[in-house]
Amino acid sequence: MNLAATGLVVAAALGGLSAVVALVVPTRPRPVLVGLGTAASGAAAVTAGVAATGGQSFAVSLPELLPLFGVSLELDALGGLFVAVTGGVAVVAGIFGMSYSRHGIGGRSVQSVFPLFVVVMLLVPVAASVGTFLVCWELMALTSLLLVAAEHRQRPEVASAVRWYAVMTHLGLVSVLFGLLVFAARAGGDSFDALRRADLSPGVAGVVFVLTLLGFASKAGILPLHAWLPRAHPEAPSHVSALMSAAMVNLGVYGIARVGGDLLGGGPAWWWLLVLGLGAVSAVYGILQAAMSADLKRLLGYSTTENMGLVLVGLGAAGLFASSGQRVLAGLALAAALLHVINHASFKSLLFLAAGSVLHGTGTRDLDALGGLRRGMPVTTAAFGVGALAASALPPGTAFVSEWLLLQALVHGVAVPGLATAIVMPVAVAVVALTAGLAVATFVKAFGVGFLAKPRSAGAQQATESPATMLVGMAFAGAACVVLALEPAMVLPALARVGGVVFGSLESAVGGEVTLRLEGVAGVLSPLLLALALLAAVVVTVAAVRAPGVRAARREARLWDCGGGPMSARMEYTATSFAEPLQRVFDDVVQPELDVDVDHHEESAYLVRAVEYRRRVADRVERRLYEPVLAVAWRWGEAGRGLANGSVHRYLGYGFYTLCGLLIVLVVLR
Amino acid sequence: MTDTGYVQALYLACGVLLLTAVVILWRRELAVIIRVFALQGAALAALAAITAAHQGSAELWAVAAGIAALRAGVLPWLLRRALVESGQAARETQPLVNVAASLLAAAALTMLAYAVSQPLVALAPSPATQAVPVGVAVVLIGLFVLVTRRRALSQLVGFLLMDNGITTVAFLTTEGVGLIVEVGVWLDVLLVVLVLQILTTRMRAAFGGTDLDDLRGLRDT
Repeated sequence: MNLAATGLVVAAALGGLSAVVALVVPTRPRPVLVGLGTAASGAAAVTAGVAATGGQSFAVSLPELLPLFGVSLELDALGGLFVAVTGGVAVVAGIFGMSYSRHGIGGRSVQSVFPLFVVVMLLVPVAASVGTFLVCWELMALTSLLLVAAEHRQRPEVASAVRWYAVMTHLGLVSVLFGLLVFAARAGGDSFDALRRADLSPGVAGVVFVLTLLGFASKAGILPLHAWLPRAHPEAPSHVSALMSAAMVNLGVYGIARVGGDLLGGGPAWWWLLVLGLGAVSAVYGILQAAMSADLKRLLGYSTTENMGLVLVGLGAAGLFASSGQRVLAGLALAAALLHVINHASFKSLLFLAAGSVLHGTGTRDLDALGGLRRGMPVTTAAFGVGALAASALPPGTAFVSEWLLLQALVHGVAVPGLATAIVMPVAVAVVALTAGLAVATFVKAFGVGFLAKPRSAGAQQATESPATMLVGMAFAGAACVVLALEPAMVLPALARVGGVVFGSLESAVGGEVTLRLEGVAGVLSPLLLALALLAAVVVTVAAVRAPGVRAARREARLWDCGGGPMSARMEYTATSFAEPLQRVFDDVVQPELDVDVDHHEESAYLVRAVEYRRRVADRVERRLYEPVLAVAWRWGEAGRGLANGSVHRYLGYGFYTLCGLLIVLVVLR
Repeated sequence: MTDTGYVQALYLACGVLLLTAVVILWRRELAVIIRVFALQGAALAALAAITAAHQGSAELWAVAAGIAALRAGVLPWLLRRALVESGQAARETQPLVNVAASLLAAAALTMLAYAVSQPLVALAPSPATQAVPVGVAVVLIGLFVLVTRRRALSQLVGFLLMDNGITTVAFLTTEGVGLIVEVGVWLDVLLVVLVLQILTTRMRAAFGGTDLDDLRGLRDT
């Protein structure tokens, strides 16, 4: 057995063992043991995944394990990448959960489902037949559903989130199921090998692609099937949110790459234009909603939609280039997309864990009630700061490298002959740039309003730092962010191998050790040198400010407050007020509901006693697309109530008349 | 037993089955209904016995004895006990469909059963399968009783009529069902009757009667 096989088997065994351990050990040591087991399982998975992206492979077939179609697993470079990412997130989430789970979610069921969720997520990219894949996919949905429901006793919103998630994930499953079954029926076999060899007519291939794309996009939180994501991710316990938002959504991307690229073998340009378009719309819409959001975890959830959108822009561009024979650009775009998957996993798990730490320390995740956490929770503040920098696509942040690569691919794609690329590429460049700008605003808001300035509530005032294991979890995720930001060249060669699986023999698009050099097109970037230069500039500036001559001229004084007395927390920017300019700019898109109540003194209508301002930014896509559907379903249900008046005779009568009617039809037709 | 005698006896038993089903629809006194139901159970047992005698199979004799014990003995006894416990409401006062219309419906259902069963009979024409429509008719009449009668006890009889009909069809089409299958069905039926009996008792305790339409208030609005 090679390293890939050993790692995967050990990971699955450790995860299963943790689930069993959670069932038998008493409450006190349970979270620690489960956390350790999950982290170890994740570490083994990282080993297996890295080995697989390094060229090792592993295949096993267990025909007796499941009736009818058996289980067949195969780990290749593409699967290995996603196994490694999932494993990495599982390590930090497991460590974080060791003390986070002590508060209300240390029960047997939640703790045993948690490692199972990780194992199932590891198995999805390894599945090598339609049956195995669908079983793992459904198990992933079910286990995550149970985890989202973990805190349903504490908060009533959880129940609603679970209902949304349950319905949408199963609709997605149905879509994927139909797509893959049509595919398998036409291919005459259930294994991925048979699917690869299948010769489908363009129409059937298009139907298969669109059906599976719908299901996979819904899992990745892509518009317009994203409605579950900003509900379920915030309501889950924070380390589960990290796993869902940083690992599970990636598997939607995996599905699109596997089915569209690997199994269907590329396909025509319109498929990938569709992917690119969905990604672009999701990226802008997601980050816009995130910028408006005042709930820390909801903001992070919408940011997931944005980042998955960017990944799909890269994937779509890669497919588009591959279909027009531009192998170099396809390799570059795909490398950018996959690097963004890795980067997003690292910073989103860090951010969700930091949000969990804030929730643990203050009891709230409402940004308007936070602030001033820097004093009480210095490590968490630093961790969120690193995460926010990583997420905001600014050098030396983590997302900057992948978005730079993506922009390079799109910019050079303009030169590719063809009407579609000539129109789409410039728009896509604008979309990525707009997204990056809004992301900066969003994370400045999240960090500045949430962590700096003065505390806005008693909870934020009395915040205390989280236990050590939670900090260690965040530290690991933060270290991953930093390493990926400074030395992305470590993972790029592996990504070229992964790209070869998706679109077949792509040249390595990016070379170089410290300095990234794009092959085939002009473009050079050195994240490490850039970071060093920035650091040097900061050091020089600080030194200049603190220099003895400058220091002597400074004097201490009270901040100028317009004569209004000492500054209080109520004078600060809130998350709502910070987003107000953006809300005005994008008024037509977000259409917020504003509610201003002005209360006058009785003596004079000119003297204002109080002003109350309320803003609600409803999800507009949800309102236009989901509410009519829900209204129809509701009316249908109401009509159904008319049929059911509670009389047993009536219910029996329905059966009787239907039976007699069917028999009469049978007699007449025969 | 000669072939003619077998066929005559078979048709006699089937005739009694159908006739008792119709009589159950006709009469309103619950005590009489239970007695007629016991008679139907006996007819069903006779049907099994006739098949057993025709095939000379010991297993079928055991099945026949079991049917006689259960359907002509235990079940009527359970029903009668439930009736005695209930006290006053010994009549099916207001069926949802009156008796005359019920009898007409029974005639229509029987014709429907004959029409529907034709392909079944055509599969393997024999004296036994010729009688299959009787079983189907009993099932339909049982369902009709379920739909139109108000008292919980009549409902129970309707359910058991359906079951008798299903057993009849099984006997006539396969010329004898395996003992194990039959025993499984008996246990099922017994369990259902016991559960429904408890339900009846509870209903009486809660509503003071066993009119099923009193349950209407339980619906969530």
